[in-house]
Amino acid sequence: MQVIKEFLDTFFSDVGVFDAICVTFQMAFSATFISSVLGVLLGLLLERAEFIGKKIVIRINRTLMGVPPVVVGLIVYMLLMRRGPLGKLNMLFSIQGMIFAQVLIITPIICGMTYTSLVSRAPAIRAFARTMGATPIQTQWLVVRELKNELYFAVVTGFGRSISEVGAVMLVGGNIKGHTRTMTTTISLLKSQGIFTEGLTLGILLLLMAFIIQSLADFFQRGEKSDENY
Amino acid sequence: MKIIDLIKKQGDFELRTKSVTIEEGKIHGIIGGNGCGKTTLCKLIMGMILPDSGKIDYEGLDIREITMTAQRPYFIRGSVYENICYPLKIRHIQPDEQKIDAWLFRCGLEGKKRQYARSLSSGEQQKVSMIRALIFDPRFIMIDETLSNLDPENLELFEQVILEIQKERPVTWMLISHRLAHIYKMCEVLHFMYKGEILASGSKDKILFGTEDERIRRFVANEVIKMEGNHAAFKG
Ligand SMILES: Nc1ncnc2c1ncn2[C@@H]1O[C@H](COP(=O)(O)OP(=O)(O)OP(=O)(O)O)[C@@H](O)[C@H]1O
Ligand SMILES: [Mg+2]
Repeated sequence: MQVIKEFLDTFFSDVGVFDAICVTFQMAFSATFISSVLGVLLGLLLERAEFIGKKIVIRINRTLMGVPPVVVGLIVYMLLMRRGPLGKLNMLFSIQGMIFAQVLIITPIICGMTYTSLVSRAPAIRAFARTMGATPIQTQWLVVRELKNELYFAVVTGFGRSISEVGAVMLVGGNIKGHTRTMTTTISLLKSQGIFTEGLTLGILLLLMAFIIQSLADFFQRGEKSDENY
Repeated sequence: MKIIDLIKKQGDFELRTKSVTIEEGKIHGIIGGNGCGKTTLCKLIMGMILPDSGKIDYEGLDIREITMTAQRPYFIRGSVYENICYPLKIRHIQPDEQKIDAWLFRCGLEGKKRQYARSLSSGEQQKVSMIRALIFDPRFIMIDETLSNLDPENLELFEQVILEIQKERPVTWMLISHRLAHIYKMCEVLHFMYKGEILASGSKDKILFGTEDERIRRFVANEVIKMEGNHAAFKG
């Protein structure tokens, strides 16, 4: 670790790249984890529940899937600032604050994707479970298991959104070196200082890490045959 | 089991039954043209869909003891073996490997045990879905055209299987098929459906050969002519 840190410190100018990488992953993993739990649960609930205004809720969900992060950042900033309603939590300019903002951005994406795959696939799975005499809990579990590829894709999309996001992280985290500076905000900073090569290198590093994470996740998915006889 | 004045609307289609008793322990057949509501009736019995009005009196039969094999069977991700074990697993029953192997062998599926279920041919899928439905000893079994893609030899095999099970323990069967020869051979009671209604229920001979109803006569006409030629063979 120390070696990597020194290498990065000598290669990049004094912007705290090593810490930024750590912060990025700490934030992305936490935000993705929380959003996945929330998003999948909400998606399951939304598909099951019948209530007036469900169509509107779904449409709002779709809209939020594409919400500009900077808008969420602004709202979270206003919530968390000292005079704001959540000011007492002292979360502004902290990783927790950034995670909070990202959860708001990513949860609708995971929820929406979960809901969409459920709507098309769950009825057939439920009907099957019924013929087998599965209990309601066994049925719900079967639905999740059968859709695990779709859910996995939703989570990976959420993760990708998290590590690539700048707007909310910048506003809520404040890009404080060694504390809330992430890889994306570092790139943004390097650009404003006119240091393009380093910015680009960092960008490639970010992509590379995303690629490695993706490969790891795929590795654990291996052995999933999916050839069907149509 | 009693089906009591069920009404179920589905788009333009409306299923509307009078009161019908499905006698326990018998092999029933449901016949009728495409889209007349056979599958819908089974789904109602299975509790997959709820009727708009009317009800089904299960007469003490637990819904978990009812099963249905679908026209297009669903397979969970995984092998043939995992699919066959699914109903056992959810009942916390240890699968009996030998019994499953014997089933697979009997159906000519030996060597397919570890194959990905969704990659089977359609007839093979139907056989696996039959094994999967029979393995947990349900007491009410609906077979919705599941045997339609089987070759004559395999169809014969499952006809035998059904009759064997019927001897061993009391099971109520509902067979849906457009192969009237198969229906005639297997069933004791037939129910004829027409545009969402159960027009007639009764013994197979009465429904197929002894009806006055023009709609039923027209439906069975073609097949019956073929069958009557071989009548003796079917009776045997
Ligand atoms: N979800 C639905 N929405 C609208 N219409 C439906 C729905 N499900 C079934 N139907 C209609 O109900 C009618 C009866 O369907 P059902 O599947 O019960 O027919 P069937 O007797 O099993 O026919 P087949 O012999 O072709 O299998 C059909 O006309 C079908 O179009
Ligand atoms: Mg049908």
